[in-house]
Amino acid sequence: MSTFFAEYAWLVPLFPLIAFAILTATGRGAKRAGAWIGTAATFLSLVLSICIAVERLSGTSTDYIRQIDWLQVGEMTLTAGFEVTNLTSLMLVVVTLVSFLVNLYSQGYMREDDRISTFFAYVALFTSSMLGLVLSDNLLTFYIFWELVGVCSFLLVGFWYQKPEAKAAAKKAFIVTRIGDLGLFIALLLLFWYMPGNALDFSSIHNVFGTQGGVIATGITTLIALLIFVGAVGKSGQFPLHVWLPDAMEGPTPISALIHAATMVAAGVFLVARTFPVFEASPAAMTTVAIVGAFTAIFAATIGIAQNDIKRILAYSTISQLGYMMLALGVGSVTAAMFHLFTHAFFKALLFLGAGSVIHSVHTQDIREMGGLGSRMKITAWTFGIGALALSGIPPFAGFWSKDAVLTEALNKSPILFIVGVVAAFFTALYMARLYFLVFAGKPRQDGHAHESPPVMTIPLIVLAVLSLFAGFVETPFNGWFGEWLTGETADHHGSGLVMVVSVAVGLLGVYLGWLIYVKGTISRDIVSSRMPGLVMVLERKYYIDELYHLIFVKPLYAAGKLLEAFDEYVVDGAVRLTGRAANALGRLNTRLQNGQVQSYALTALIGIVILLLAIAGRRFW
Amino acid sequence: MTILSSYLTLAAVLFCVGLYGVLTKRNAIIVLLSVELMLNAVNLNLIAFSKYGVNPSLAGQIFTLFTITVAAAEAAVGVAILVVLYRSRATVNVDEFDELRR
Amino acid sequence: MPENIPFLSLITLMPLLGAIIVLLLPKEQSQWLRITGIVFTVIPLLLAVWLFISYQTSMNAGGFTEQYTWLSIPLNNEYEARASTLSLVFDYHLAVDGISLPLLLLTGIVSTMAALASVFIRKRWKTYYFLFLLLLTGMYGVFLARDLVLFFIFFEITLIPMFFLIGIWGYFGREKAAVKFLIYNGLGSAAMLFAFLILIATLGLSVAEPGAAGPWIFTGNYDVLLQNLTDPGAAANIAESQFSLHVFFTDEMKWTAFILLLVAFGIKIPIFPFHTWMLKVHTEAPPSIVMIHSGILLKMGVYGLIRFGAFLFPQQLSSWSTVLAVLGVINILYGAILACVQKEFKLVLAYSSISHMGIVLLGIASLEEAGLQGAIYQSVSHGLISALLFLIVGSLYERTNTTQLDELGGLARAVPFMSGILLLAGLASLGLPGLSGFVGEFLSFLGLFGSMKWLTAIGVLGMLFAAVYVLRSVLNITYGPMPERFTGMKDARFIEALPMVTLAALIVLLGVYPSILTDLMQHGFDGLLEQLQTRMGG
Repeated sequence: MSTFFAEYAWLVPLFPLIAFAILTATGRGAKRAGAWIGTAATFLSLVLSICIAVERLSGTSTDYIRQIDWLQVGEMTLTAGFEVTNLTSLMLVVVTLVSFLVNLYSQGYMREDDRISTFFAYVALFTSSMLGLVLSDNLLTFYIFWELVGVCSFLLVGFWYQKPEAKAAAKKAFIVTRIGDLGLFIALLLLFWYMPGNALDFSSIHNVFGTQGGVIATGITTLIALLIFVGAVGKSGQFPLHVWLPDAMEGPTPISALIHAATMVAAGVFLVARTFPVFEASPAAMTTVAIVGAFTAIFAATIGIAQNDIKRILAYSTISQLGYMMLALGVGSVTAAMFHLFTHAFFKALLFLGAGSVIHSVHTQDIREMGGLGSRMKITAWTFGIGALALSGIPPFAGFWSKDAVLTEALNKSPILFIVGVVAAFFTALYMARLYFLVFAGKPRQDGHAHESPPVMTIPLIVLAVLSLFAGFVETPFNGWFGEWLTGETADHHGSGLVMVVSVAVGLLGVYLGWLIYVKGTISRDIVSSRMPGLVMVLERKYYIDELYHLIFVKPLYAAGKLLEAFDEYVVDGAVRLTGRAANALGRLNTRLQNGQVQSYALTALIGIVILLLAIAGRRFW
Repeated sequence: MTILSSYLTLAAVLFCVGLYGVLTKRNAIIVLLSVELMLNAVNLNLIAFSKYGVNPSLAGQIFTLFTITVAAAEAAVGVAILVVLYRSRATVNVDEFDELRR
Repeated sequence: MPENIPFLSLITLMPLLGAIIVLLLPKEQSQWLRITGIVFTVIPLLLAVWLFISYQTSMNAGGFTEQYTWLSIPLNNEYEARASTLSLVFDYHLAVDGISLPLLLLTGIVSTMAALASVFIRKRWKTYYFLFLLLLTGMYGVFLARDLVLFFIFFEITLIPMFFLIGIWGYFGREKAAVKFLIYNGLGSAAMLFAFLILIATLGLSVAEPGAAGPWIFTGNYDVLLQNLTDPGAAANIAESQFSLHVFFTDEMKWTAFILLLVAFGIKIPIFPFHTWMLKVHTEAPPSIVMIHSGILLKMGVYGLIRFGAFLFPQQLSSWSTVLAVLGVINILYGAILACVQKEFKLVLAYSSISHMGIVLLGIASLEEAGLQGAIYQSVSHGLISALLFLIVGSLYERTNTTQLDELGGLARAVPFMSGILLLAGLASLGLPGLSGFVGEFLSFLGLFGSMKWLTAIGVLGMLFAAVYVLRSVLNITYGPMPERFTGMKDARFIEALPMVTLAALIVLLGVYPSILTDLMQHGFDGLLEQLQTRMGG
């Protein structure tokens, strides 16, 4: 029952922060040494996180919380602190592990870049903020780190700042997620004013909404839950705020793996899981979460089929998988959601890093220009294959178990959500098969000199592949250990055979169909596009969402700006000028009197005297 | 109507005539003459008060003598200026003289 | 602290001494002039820091106030028989508390940075440093003065140097900008003077004992005003019939004075629609002066509104809090939307200042401790951030000769250090947590949210627009391909880098550890708020 390591949990985010400080201070001079500093710091965090997790696993059940006063406002005190629970210790390990592997991988991937130490500084700052977010014991601290990871994501997406696309993508990523952040911010304000004692820490939130219940009116609860969800939607790229995530692929690929697949985008899911009692207290919010999640899952999966950029396909796949997690939360299962988050972090990071390895070698991101890489990049091909199978939900890979858990929970709640999930799973398998076969199978479409990446890049791939293979066994229909550990309740977890069969069937069907089309060639590739060019067009253009947003948000804002500018120039400043002119005109009128004629001056004086005399005389009659 | 008020009325009429002249006449010499009229109206008042006022005394009459002297000096200086102006401008029309404005 | 050393007077008058020394130096000695200027800017800063430290340790000890009778004018007392003597007394009264101390520190820091940044000044150093130091005296005086007339005088002292500093050393439209500045602020001062006269004539009357004979004194001393406001026996609160002089502080008078003050300080802050003058100043004044202007002078408005508006007119303010909040929201959104479409970087920053000042207004409108603290905090933070931004603008202009957004680009490659600092300042400006901007915004919104939920929610939208205009402009300058003409550009020199790093470090410090200021403000507000509650209740 010791909390020896937990007491030092604050060191976990501190190591990367120190690395960031060192790297920023030394500037570009650090070069490769800087890369090692970043990696070493993450490694220390990883070791400590594992120690903490082991400590938790060994049976500690009390959560460890420590707070300091951050800000005092009147009688209210805002605290900052950290909390170690089973959930956070799990996230700590996931984040530090992926971060460490990505750091290692980037040693190879970013070798050529002359700003490599800046890159590692940003990554270190991100890792630190993400760990801070995970450890936060209250919503305010959470929000602070939430924004910080956002800004790191922004910095890293725009890392190659000379590319106009990267600039646009970075800006978009920040602004779109900012919309979600505002939701969370207002939720924070609402909670602050409605919570008894202005408490913002998660344990009080759990108490007030979970066990006590009824302290806060249902309407307000729903509002708070929905606003929190808006924040999660923004960060986790859920519909309708998903538009930034695919564009964020302009960043270096290791970043896509770390931030836009494994950790930051999952923070939305983590947020909902962390404030879950609020959602549970509001059925309407739960339904919303489930519907948005399910819709996003199928929506993004369909777009994924029609994309040609290897990273964008993976990005849409991420959106779709995050939809699954939201779906799981919406139907009331934190366990399934966190389980899927856990496995997804590994296999999606694996896929991105694999994709990075491919890009590193062929210098293109268009899958139509790749092919036949399987023979020349054996390790990448194998590990990528494992990741793809895990994502497609083929047993015994990790993704199968977690997706199965999500679908089971969905079926328990609503058959429609279940069907949507299954269809999305089919599309997932299909686009992954398409991606894999186009890239690795067939004949090379490029007479380049594709070669396997250096070991510093392949080792992380192998580690992640192993995890993608086995991580699923912590929670199977026959073994509910993970859920019990996470939630502290013994769930009667009996898997449904139906779900398993269906999900395996659609997964295999998708892969088979992909094989038929892209390897065997039995079915023509343009079977759909020749018959329904419109549909394919719509999918390729991602349902025209970007264009729509441009039309209904960007343009009106710009127009409003122009309108107000004219208003400012002509009405506000015009009024000022008018006042000035009026004074001027009045003065000019008076200069008429100043004509230099002594006689008229004398007349004026006379009139003045007469008026004065009259006034003095008139006073007598008042 | 007392004697005082008849003097005062006369002085007022004289003053107004002078004032009218000062304000309206274009010829500078007539303006100067009108000023003399106004001064004389004042003199008349002073004398009237020194004889029929509340506290009759000689002070009023002495003041009148001052005024007459000053008026004479003023007329001399004024006419001298006018002569100079006439030499340089060839006119004594006061409308032409708006140097104050420049 | 040695009690007999008049620290507050030293802070205020040190720059004046410097100005006199500058006058004595020959005008060719630019190096000596510069050194004198910087030294006499740094000394008050050091004193202010010292004050800050000693204030921390002995919050309740005295020694933070100085009071002498300055002018005593006997009045004709034949109208009021009961007064043995009737006189008008103005005090030289300086004091510091938790509200003014943060702003005092801000003044010290920003002015020092501006003095360092005065390397951009290329002509007439002697006049420049003379006016600069004179301006400094005015600013310190405003934050320290506790007598209406003294406050007014210091307030006016800032105007004249500003006028010349803009008009002589500014960019192309400098004369017009200077005139606009003077006219607006002169108007504001007129309104303020009027309001102050009302206050002196009504609240300022102290009677030895109501109804009894004794000396009657009209004073502008702030402490006396506050006391008279709460004291039901004070002359201003007693029925009119008892006095033949019209000294009763009627509701009409209160409202007149309040609205006049609102206008006076509203022009300074500036509140929409009185903002157009400050756009001109922001674009035309030289960088070091804009740093001072946007960093400190605007905050004098905030300070005045809190010191005189909120604490002398609590009823008026609370019944107008919605109006104030609406004005704040208008400021936020109006400034932010306009900032989104500007093509000139300095105008973006100017409109963003309007937007940020809107947040300050929200904080004041809340009349909550959180909101008021937020207002001051936001003022300090915005002072630092905008000083930093304009410092960078000045450095960039020196290198590129333009501040038009579409003529800039790719500077991250040419001048990575300055671009990095610019990005940091931009992020602070859009309210990124961990940097000072967030704390002020958070506290202000938090305070207002308790009473006006919808308005706050609308105001929060400003944070989104802030992200849009900051990123749009900053990324336009730093990101993207680098044009040919920027190759070989030099990054910041030491004299430029020093203030940049200092300001950036302070922004981070205030963002991470806000207690350093909030505890102070807490102490400043506690007593005042208590009085406020009792008055509003009564």
